[in-house]
Amino acid sequence: MRAISLFACAAALAAQTVDDGLAAFHNGDYVRAEKILSGSADPRAQLFTELSRAATGRCHDSVPRLEALLAAQQGELRRLTGLGLVQCHVALSQLDRASALADRLKAEFPSDADVLYQAARVHMRAWNDVIYQLFQKAPASYRVNHLSAEVFETQANYGAAVAEYRKAIAKNPAAINLHFRLGRALLLESHEPAALAAALAEFQAELKINPFDAVAEYQVAQVLTALQRPAEAEPRLRRALELNPALTEAQLALGKLRLDARDFPAAISLLEEAVRKMPASENARYSLMIAYRNAGRMADAVKQKEELDRLQKPPEGEFTEFLKKLGERKPQP
Amino acid sequence: MIALWAALLTAEAPDYRNVSPALGLTKSIPNGGAVSKKHIIETTGSGVGWIDLDGDGFEDVVLPSGPGMPALFYRNRKGRRLEEMDTGFKRQGWAQGVCAGDYDNDGRTDLLITYWGRNALLRNVDGTRLEDATARAGLVHDRVRYNTGCAFLDYDRDGDLDLFVANYLQFSFESAPLPGANPYCWYRGIAVNCGPRGLPFDRNLLYRNNGDGTFTAVSAVSLIERPAQHYGLGVLTGDFNRDGWPDIFVACDQTPSLLYINQKNGAFAEEALLRGVALDENGRALSGMGAAAADYDGDGLPDIFRTNFSDERETLYQNAGGGHFNESTMKAGLAHNTRFVGWGTAFLDFDNDGWRDLFLANGHVFPEVDSLKTDIRYKERAILYRNLGTGAFEDVSERAGPGVAERHSARGAAVADLDNDGSLEILIGNQNEPPSLLRNAAKPRGAWLSLRLLTRTGRDAIGAEVEVSADGRRQLDEVRSGGSYLSQNSLRLHFGLGPSATARVKVRWPDGGETVHPRVSAGRQTLRQP
Repeated sequence: MRAISLFACAAALAAQTVDDGLAAFHNGDYVRAEKILSGSADPRAQLFTELSRAATGRCHDSVPRLEALLAAQQGELRRLTGLGLVQCHVALSQLDRASALADRLKAEFPSDADVLYQAARVHMRAWNDVIYQLFQKAPASYRVNHLSAEVFETQANYGAAVAEYRKAIAKNPAAINLHFRLGRALLLESHEPAALAAALAEFQAELKINPFDAVAEYQVAQVLTALQRPAEAEPRLRRALELNPALTEAQLALGKLRLDARDFPAAISLLEEAVRKMPASENARYSLMIAYRNAGRMADAVKQKEELDRLQKPPEGEFTEFLKKLGERKPQP
Repeated sequence: MIALWAALLTAEAPDYRNVSPALGLTKSIPNGGAVSKKHIIETTGSGVGWIDLDGDGFEDVVLPSGPGMPALFYRNRKGRRLEEMDTGFKRQGWAQGVCAGDYDNDGRTDLLITYWGRNALLRNVDGTRLEDATARAGLVHDRVRYNTGCAFLDYDRDGDLDLFVANYLQFSFESAPLPGANPYCWYRGIAVNCGPRGLPFDRNLLYRNNGDGTFTAVSAVSLIERPAQHYGLGVLTGDFNRDGWPDIFVACDQTPSLLYINQKNGAFAEEALLRGVALDENGRALSGMGAAAADYDGDGLPDIFRTNFSDERETLYQNAGGGHFNESTMKAGLAHNTRFVGWGTAFLDFDNDGWRDLFLANGHVFPEVDSLKTDIRYKERAILYRNLGTGAFEDVSERAGPGVAERHSARGAAVADLDNDGSLEILIGNQNEPPSLLRNAAKPRGAWLSLRLLTRTGRDAIGAEVEVSADGRRQLDEVRSGGSYLSQNSLRLHFGLGPSATARVKVRWPDGGETVHPRVSAGRQTLRQP
């Protein structure tokens, strides 16, 4: 009886010890967690011992064990094991393996912040490694300037982006897409009317290099419209649509030009098609609503207005919900 | 003949100069932080007003102010000097806007100053003293409100002036997030004051005049409070669908603007979206600030212009009839000034050629924007467009004189003929600086008609619509309380007549009655409703 009782006490102590180890892990005290858990026969203890080692950067030994353990895990334990492994692959510069596993985890846990963060980290690391190679191996290449310009654009530093695109073009004037990107950066850099003419020249230069660029045709048309030259813009939009019938923005822009010209049948036909292709586009719905209204088709206009009202409701999401609650709060008495 | 005159005047550039210091407008108007702003409340003040308080025929100046100074009042000494008045009103606070109207029909123009907090209805006692009549009139709020634009209007056509007040949002210093606290507290990578997105909405207010010096809140029964998700700023009244009843347009920040159509039964229907004035032509809600109305294209219909944020176009909505509008910004040549945050705005005929030109006061909301070293600045110059008479405008800002080129963080703007010489002056409120008073040193050559319209009780006939015909052209305008950005233009209507010495004037009075005056001489005239 006494022996049985002693065994029960020892088992209870062991169970408590594993729980303590797990608590230490979850509190971020990985050293203590490993100390408590290592050597235990409890399968959870084995897993969390490896996760503790991974979390403290001792990945060489942990990776094969975690890989072996991963297949057997479900739910939260699978998520934790996967995250530990991704971290280890990154630490060991095994970026291909890290990327493949991060993609699998993303598919299994699509809304998980830790999974998405680790996936972003993997891709960022890969991006940094490749850029480093580019700058090391081909520092004088126009691609260095091209890439620098794109990075400046993401930082909203459009002046620097313009300068880098210009350097890239000077090195390789025939490269596809550089003039297009420069044109867009010029429009973003300056609010001066002169920027329109400068951007137009770049979009046209792009079309000389690649006359099949539908988006460049579209941009030319947009600039011509802004310059109040709609008669010149219209054929450019038609050409863009010939090149790429799926370029619905061009169809919408064409419909709006017809609307401005009070050619309601043509405008409505184009805009209805644009709405069919982009049912969630407020721009397309709004233009179609105005076209119906101006053509005297008030019932159809009202239907589009109702669709617009629906679209203008904020998208669902945690932050939006928070804002909606604020916005819908009843005025204080 | 008019065409010849228009051609002649094209060569004549305006020459606006800031005469504020010379005339006595030297006090800086506090509006929160000058180099950084912690809260949105510091960004929206304040409007300016021209109101002839003492009835001497010269427009006096009203300057609402942020904390640190009460609203300032200046008596106009025949256009030669502006002399600070002690009206007895000393309250300090976050004053926002001003609008004028003789709410008690005693023949003296009263005014409302809006505040974050509680508004102030100031009854004009004797032309020099202003009595705070807010409580007695029943206009005290039961809670703090962020009141912005306002306008007196006779929405029920019963002969006395009712009151509309726009509300921006719900704000308190205790609960407002600080710069950088959430995604709505950042601008181009710098932490800035938060909002309006992310801050709770509020509802607009309508008060019906009981005819005995008091008002009744009718926001619910009139359906004015129904639109729930908007940030209201500038208020512009007018009969936009030409049915003889006043409607209300509200420029809204980052949310669709509102157009309340008068249902002629004490209620309004909000119809901005279908009528084409809620969004821009791409279906996007812009950051509307101020608004002005004029028949800019001479088709006999009032059009609406709205100022917006930087990286947005200003928006001109052309009235297509029946109160339906199409955006005509690009066609009118107004689409290129996208680096400015626009606030106060006015249609004014600066050259008296019979076509309404267009003025905009500008200035960013974030002083911190200067650290970005882009072409967007906190203090910006103004914009002046000349109306070419072809449905389009020409940007003459850079040759319109040093006053237009001065950089300020401007807010309210209002127009009046300071010295009654037929040339219009522009008063501009500047954040944490003295106001600017722009006077055109190049006197316009065209003849002009300045009309004061009085109801049978002798008050300014707010809501009266005037059609002036001269040399085969018709011009349209309306007597408006409020307008621009939280500001008050002169209640007199100014028409450029070009070469004409006389004009035919048709008035539709606020009660719907009409009078025709076949031969009114150029100059200053007063018409009273028979």
